[in-house]
Amino acid sequence: MFKVELLTRDGAAIAFDAEPSENLLAAAERANIYLPSSCREGACGACRVTHASGDIELDAYSSAALSDAERAAGGILLCRAHAHGDVALHAPFDAASIGFAPTPQRRATIVDIGPAGARAMRIVLQYEEDPEFGRAAQFVAGQFGELEIPESGIRRSYSLANAPNWDGKLEFLIRLQPGGAFSTYLRERASIGDALIVHGPKGQFTLDEASLAPRWFVAGGTGLAPALSMLRHMAELADPCPARLFFGVNRVDELFALDALEEIRAALPQLAVTICVWAPETPPETRWRGFAGTPAEALAQSLANASERPDIYVCGPPALITAVETVALAGGAGATYAERFSAA
Amino acid sequence: MFCYQCEQTFRSDNKAGCAGAKGMCGKDAATADLQDVLLHVCEGIGQYLHRARRLGATDAEADRFLLFAFFTTLTNVNFSAAKFVEFIQRAAQLRDGAKALYEKAAREAGETPETLSGAAAFVPAKDMAGLLAQAGEAAIRKDVARLGEDVVGLRALVLYGLKGVCAYAHHACVLGEERDAIYAAVEHALDLLASEPEDIGPLLDEALALGRANFLAMEALDAANTGNFGTPEPTSVRVTPIKGKAILVSGHDLKDLHAILEATKDKGINVYTHGELLPAHSYPALRSYPHLAGNYGGAWQDQQKEFAEFPGPIVMTSNCLIEPQPRYRARIFTAGPVGWPGVRHIANEDFTQVVQAALALPGFAEDAEEQRITVGFGRAAVLGVADKVIDAVKSGAIRHFFMIGGCDGAAPGRNYYADFAHATPDDTVILTLGCGKYRFNKHDFGTVGGLPRLLDMGQCNDAYSALVVATKLAEAFGVGVNELPLSLIVSWFEQKAAAVLLTLLALGVRNVRLGPTLPAFLTPALVDVLVEKFGVLPIGDARADIDAALSRAA
Ligand code: SF4
Ligand code: SF4
Ligand code: FES
Repeated sequence: MFKVELLTRDGAAIAFDAEPSENLLAAAERANIYLPSSCREGACGACRVTHASGDIELDAYSSAALSDAERAAGGILLCRAHAHGDVALHAPFDAASIGFAPTPQRRATIVDIGPAGARAMRIVLQYEEDPEFGRAAQFVAGQFGELEIPESGIRRSYSLANAPNWDGKLEFLIRLQPGGAFSTYLRERASIGDALIVHGPKGQFTLDEASLAPRWFVAGGTGLAPALSMLRHMAELADPCPARLFFGVNRVDELFALDALEEIRAALPQLAVTICVWAPETPPETRWRGFAGTPAEALAQSLANASERPDIYVCGPPALITAVETVALAGGAGATYAERFSAA
Repeated sequence: MFCYQCEQTFRSDNKAGCAGAKGMCGKDAATADLQDVLLHVCEGIGQYLHRARRLGATDAEADRFLLFAFFTTLTNVNFSAAKFVEFIQRAAQLRDGAKALYEKAAREAGETPETLSGAAAFVPAKDMAGLLAQAGEAAIRKDVARLGEDVVGLRALVLYGLKGVCAYAHHACVLGEERDAIYAAVEHALDLLASEPEDIGPLLDEALALGRANFLAMEALDAANTGNFGTPEPTSVRVTPIKGKAILVSGHDLKDLHAILEATKDKGINVYTHGELLPAHSYPALRSYPHLAGNYGGAWQDQQKEFAEFPGPIVMTSNCLIEPQPRYRARIFTAGPVGWPGVRHIANEDFTQVVQAALALPGFAEDAEEQRITVGFGRAAVLGVADKVIDAVKSGAIRHFFMIGGCDGAAPGRNYYADFAHATPDDTVILTLGCGKYRFNKHDFGTVGGLPRLLDMGQCNDAYSALVVATKLAEAFGVGVNELPLSLIVSWFEQKAAAVLLTLLALGVRNVRLGPTLPAFLTPALVDVLVEKFGVLPIGDARADIDAALSRAA
């Protein structure tokens, strides 16, 4: 048994013991310490921390979660790391991101389902009343839940698109993956009244409320979901922070949630929205008059003219994240917060 | 940022004060700086109102705003930088109004209005970045190199004492009790601070003047609470939960609690007070709501654990808030002066959302084993048995009174107060108020002379009661307060406690034991003044301190 010490960004020291046979995420959970994580398989990068000292061995992982440069700089993935001696780690998150109770598991029923543009679906779930949690949907805007189809072993992570609420409603925008197990369920079998199991809330992709910088959101496809959630939360609180949204899809017919964006804009007047279509060659009657290109390109243009350095919240496929991180670095943005969507 | 207004301030061997990116309380540098700017603009308001008042002109709205604005800057009240930008803009508008009021009054009186400089002429920037750039002009220690630590420390004592006065006066004001003399004192103190005083004498005088103003503020608050909700009576309060839906109300605001009780009437929701709102149960008008079910949890520093475990919404009506954790961030609400970025705020006393939340959350699954404590020994209850008390003292049944009052905090040294209470001899009475008591108020101390040995007089907000009792007993025995067999053992944490200390000093109460540490803004020279003039003592070893108190009394 070795000692693991983790120092959070805000200076809190968290300690737990780990056996060499268990990964550090699991070791922490044995001590009721729930550190940020998502895929738990070395694919998403959510559990990335910096290794300060001690002997550590890593299982195989994806370079999307931890690049060679990050590894060289001491980066490790908690879900892949094993301690072979006392270890000291530095976390890029605050102590407030650490949970000290297991993630809730709750039953919910589909109460609305329908297409969201040509390549995604929108489903709305209603939590069932639960003796431990009641019916409230308590989460922090931007978090995700894992949806499990009962007795199927199929379990996928999706970001919540609505704000926390007392009706117990959970809204998800889900990109349909050809052949994907959850996508197939949604396309072929899901209907109103179906029960699902929700594991969550999870995730650290939430507003940095302490930052004073403007908030710019960059969303690719259904990566819009967490941005919608955060913007709805800001609208509810009449948050005065300047905000922009760059929302991109490939083709005009893939657009969705435009009404929702209008509603948010009515409540959050400072929000500027740029809708980007990458390949707008569509029939002339639906000719795209907005921004033609990727949201990363739109971001680059706006950053060049920005008077303040905004924080950037980006969510979408890995290629978009990488592009936005590059643009943010070159364009002098403040902090960049990213949530990678992996294909599933 | 630089802040050393509370007891938990960062301390190292050679300096004290929170000066990093975040204070020990979690207040970030931007918020701290914006608070300084807000208070600076408020000084400008004070400069004009002080002069206008002399000419018979007043502005009630601006006065009320001053109380509110100062309250937002107390430790553990408002952490929302964006809110402070709003407050500063509002303060600037009110300052312009106060200027116009003063100039008009002066002209009407045939005087040429003074052209004021300093805070009165300070033009706050329009946005956050600009305001932060101005913070240096408003910083408490900006003159330290020129004037030294003593003057700056005394300025701080005045500023922080003023914060306490404003907090008490704000609580009274929302319940309809206002006193012109309090506003006059607030304006006077602001005008003095705006003049950037450099001499110890006037600053010490001002501190004592604030102590007297604070006595008035506490009197107004007492009148507000008893006027609206009746006279506190000894009341047995359940301190364990009951099965069912639940709301937790923390802070000190009885008006908000009352509004929540109204909003939850007949809805099958139990309302619990959190630690510091415990005295609410002793007010007849609040106790008459059968769903005011009990008190939950202890002092403020345990709130992160207690709130996480509470199965319903939580309303924070005043200090002391600490960073809401993810497990309850979605179900904690702030009200009044309180704020945290990203947390829902109720500005208009409309608690509908809180009721919805309570119904949506699970509530307590079962009854916990019943446990009760008795509270409500306010001045009326204690003076109601004054004869008994006096007889018991005369017969020797009661040898001494220990008033163990004040705040709690996370520092380990605070165990002193519990140790002290437990070590008091059986022929002594413990009067207590404030959060420090949660470390010993569930213990059975037995009785003496037919009275419970532990008399809970309320919260920090009820310090008035304690002073009235002391004064009345002194009258009954025909002696001064300092001749009574009474010792004050005070634990301070934040600025209300600083104001109460000033009140004690202003009333001539001597030999107060203060801990767990002395305020960081009091330099050794200033502490010497307090020791010499008022006999203020630091806390030491509990048993030795008890012996010293008893031998002094003997
Ligand atoms: S209020 Fe207290 S803890 Fe917070 S910054 Fe000021 S001195 Fe530090
Ligand atoms: S006694 Fe002190 S710590 Fe307790 S609520 Fe009052 S001010 Fe806060
Ligand atoms: S949880 Fe470790 S990489 Fe996803």
